[in-house]
Amino acid sequence: MSEAVDEMIADVVDGGEVRNHLGLIAAMTREFTATRDADVMAKTGLERITKYVGAEASSLFLIDDNGKELVCSACSGPVDITGLRIPADAGIVGRVYNERSGQMVRDVTKDADFGAMVDEQTGFTTKSILCAPLSLGDECLGCIEIINKNTGDGLFEADDLTLLETLAGAATLAIHNFRLTQQVVAQERERHELELAAQIQRQLLPPAGGPEFPVHGINMAARSVSGDFYDILPLADGRIWFNVGDVSGKGMNAALLMAKTSSLFRCLAKATDSPGRLFDAINSELCETGTHGMFVTMAGGLFDPATGKILMANAGHEPPLLLDGYGEQFTFFEAEAPPLGIMAGIAGPEGYPSQEIDLNGGSFYIFTDGLTEATTFGGGMLGIDGARALIREHAEESPDLQLNSITGAVRLPGQSLRDDLTMLIIQDSGTAEEKAAAAAPAPVSDDVVSGQILRIRVPAKANRLKVIRAGTEQAAAFCEADEAWTVDLVMAVDEACQNVIRHAYVGWDEPGDIVVDFIRDRDRLIVHLMDFADPVDQSKIKSRDLDEVRPGGLGVHLIKSVTDEAIFVDPPEGVGNLFKLTKRL
Amino acid sequence: MSLEITEKDGATIVALAGDVDLQTSPAVRQGLLECLETHDQVVVDMSQVNYIDSSGVASLVEAFQVSRKKGSFFALAHVSTAAMRVLSLARLDKVFSIHESTEDALAANG
Repeated sequence: MSEAVDEMIADVVDGGEVRNHLGLIAAMTREFTATRDADVMAKTGLERITKYVGAEASSLFLIDDNGKELVCSACSGPVDITGLRIPADAGIVGRVYNERSGQMVRDVTKDADFGAMVDEQTGFTTKSILCAPLSLGDECLGCIEIINKNTGDGLFEADDLTLLETLAGAATLAIHNFRLTQQVVAQERERHELELAAQIQRQLLPPAGGPEFPVHGINMAARSVSGDFYDILPLADGRIWFNVGDVSGKGMNAALLMAKTSSLFRCLAKATDSPGRLFDAINSELCETGTHGMFVTMAGGLFDPATGKILMANAGHEPPLLLDGYGEQFTFFEAEAPPLGIMAGIAGPEGYPSQEIDLNGGSFYIFTDGLTEATTFGGGMLGIDGARALIREHAEESPDLQLNSITGAVRLPGQSLRDDLTMLIIQDSGTAEEKAAAAAPAPVSDDVVSGQILRIRVPAKANRLKVIRAGTEQAAAFCEADEAWTVDLVMAVDEACQNVIRHAYVGWDEPGDIVVDFIRDRDRLIVHLMDFADPVDQSKIKSRDLDEVRPGGLGVHLIKSVTDEAIFVDPPEGVGNLFKLTKRL
Repeated sequence: MSLEITEKDGATIVALAGDVDLQTSPAVRQGLLECLETHDQVVVDMSQVNYIDSSGVASLVEAFQVSRKKGSFFALAHVSTAAMRVLSLARLDKVFSIHESTEDALAANG
């Protein structure tokens, strides 16, 4: 192809035929698109243009990323000025760049804008200049400048400018094309690196134990890399370290923090047998190096298959569940400490608080909020009750099958997960005698009353909260609830009303009403909160109290913490939203 | 709700009284932040706080964060059982410096 261009130049120079311009442009454009190296492309392009116009030297100036300076990115001629930077508003090049129009300065000595500095530094003598902008729509990428005509008096003619402007058009497209290609290549490289990172991450997860091994885990990433992790680390004496963690945030940052935390766990666990001190050490390490606002929730500890007991610490993680050996009763274990990576030195000499849990022939489940917040086939969020129901449904299966069944139930066909999902099962193979000895679940008493206790209807305003709290106390007193129970109910109702006050009637001149119904249902108190606004987008309501220590976002967490159930249910005709709180007496 | 500011041994005692809820927490937040602007030892006396909700807790968290940024001392004293319940549910009981009395709080800064 180069020979073809050379031939054409020779032909044009010899014959001086303008009609060949078009052929030259076509040939050069083809050449541009075939070149992958920007520097080579610019250099050969310039050389061809210089030769074709019959000039002494030429240079290509491109505007830098800030739009402040024009940088010489290629040149042709006796003096090499590649890398030279000039302010975007200086000299003839700057003038062409700003005015977006090609210009011919036949005699530079007569142009006030001509900067002689370069000539002084290089010893070159500039007589005449042709300069054309590289315009692309509203944008200008830079300029092409051609210096001193070889023939005649060394000064350019009007025809030369038309030619240069045309060639500049082709060069602009070539540069633009090249940049787009660069972007695609960079994206492809990024995708490849992400896939490599995901591979490395998967290798950080422990190998699966055999069917007889009591601890099993699964991790499914919502994107290619995961912010969740779990680990299983058997010790020589038969005990087993385990953990499940969730890094706040998603993507590569979260994945890196996940890798760091799981490595710290694996490394530091070998030097202690106290989960509390291990968590404290990990927290110190994370805080020391900074986590840039991210943090990690983690539940983990030591399981001793010989005794069926777990010693566990929980740093702000979703409460793990114990299902008893009968597959009937659940017990859950609240976090007793804030997440890791927020603040150093918050634990005492014994480290983070830890709790001893006797599995007593039961199964222990630790999971991330990817499970409880997963979307179900029905479209709603699985929730803690949904998670319990799923676990109970599959409790008879082998641990690995359980993990597959449970995660499969929330993995909708053709959809990616909303969040990373990780789950770990610890199964205690208690003896038959032990299982028989496990206490039978207490029967539910039927000796209770049912019916509506109280209805409050007030404008949804902050100054009515005090009234609602007083009414809630009365409703609790009517059920003969104790003080601690009442404090919790008041808090839950108050926080739920706050959400209505703050969000339901946004944009209304005067807020509408809020109705709070207290209903006794045997051994439970049910509170219905109703408003008459537009239905809320439930996906936006999320417990984010522990996402970071910062003001706001606590309410939903508080409500969930002190009630047995807190859900939106389908409202009756004429009601905007119905939020239902259930609390066992 | 009321917010009363007194000086004691070079420290500033902010006595809150009443319910700190959605209606009153903006005033609490503003009071605490203003106090932290000019004082570097602030103890919040919560003995008269009957009720505090998440917006009230958020005001305390914000004040706590400002104090840490400035290197000031910020503590809570006389936290009632009900208020303590909210702080512990939010797992902030281990984050705040919490003391039985304002004297204890000042001694802790000693």
